[in-house]
Amino acid sequence: MHRKRPFFLDLLAIRLPIGGVVSILHRASGAMLSLAIPALLYILMLSLRSAEDFAQVQAFFDGGLGGLIGLGLLWALLHHLFAGLRHLGFDIGWGEEKLPARLTAKLALLAAIVIVGVVALLRLLQSGGTP
Amino acid sequence: MRRVGGSRRGLDMWLLQRASAIYMAIFLPVFLLILLDSRPLDYAVWQGLFATLALKVATLLFVAALLTHAWIGLREIFIDYIHCTRCALLRLFLYFAFALLYLACLIWAADILWSVR
Repeated sequence: MHRKRPFFLDLLAIRLPIGGVVSILHRASGAMLSLAIPALLYILMLSLRSAEDFAQVQAFFDGGLGGLIGLGLLWALLHHLFAGLRHLGFDIGWGEEKLPARLTAKLALLAAIVIVGVVALLRLLQSGGTP
Repeated sequence: MRRVGGSRRGLDMWLLQRASAIYMAIFLPVFLLILLDSRPLDYAVWQGLFATLALKVATLLFVAALLTHAWIGLREIFIDYIHCTRCALLRLFLYFAFALLYLACLIWAADILWSVR
């Protein structure tokens, strides 16, 4: 258990396969979302408490910083969801072969990024240019 | 050293992680459809959605699933990255701290939801 084992963790030299990229992002997005739960509950509370607080929440997410936070959380949620669905597939033996596994990894990675990109674009169009 | 809680605990958590994931994966698209169906979404509409008992219950179940899922996920991360010989106590503290925080979140969520009339 505590034997000396080879240790290699040069993050700049390690090139993860696509499945590895999706996997580490699955973990990172999960950690992000887990730590965000109290803040998200606070936002839910404000949004339901009164019309003024609802408007305040809306203004926050319409703003630059709030918008970035919102898009970041949306990416984390979507990536975690798609990567998670992929894992549920593995659980029932679906997509475990090398090629389908790589394909679904690419799909999960791209789908989250594309959806967030579309939402960001729509936001820009709606707000008339100011991010 | 034998881990507190017995050897089958990992399997239970594995199952619970799947069960909570499936509930959330069903709730989220349905909730999104409800939101899309109730546009334009102003305060009155948003509040009106949560005034129904069905959405209160479904949302509280979602929060419970989310907190369970998050706790098990964080536990995996702690186990993977905090494993020095003297770190068992730190891990135990983190499990306990997040369990307490998330339990508080669950009670808070119930209060938030049931405050909507």
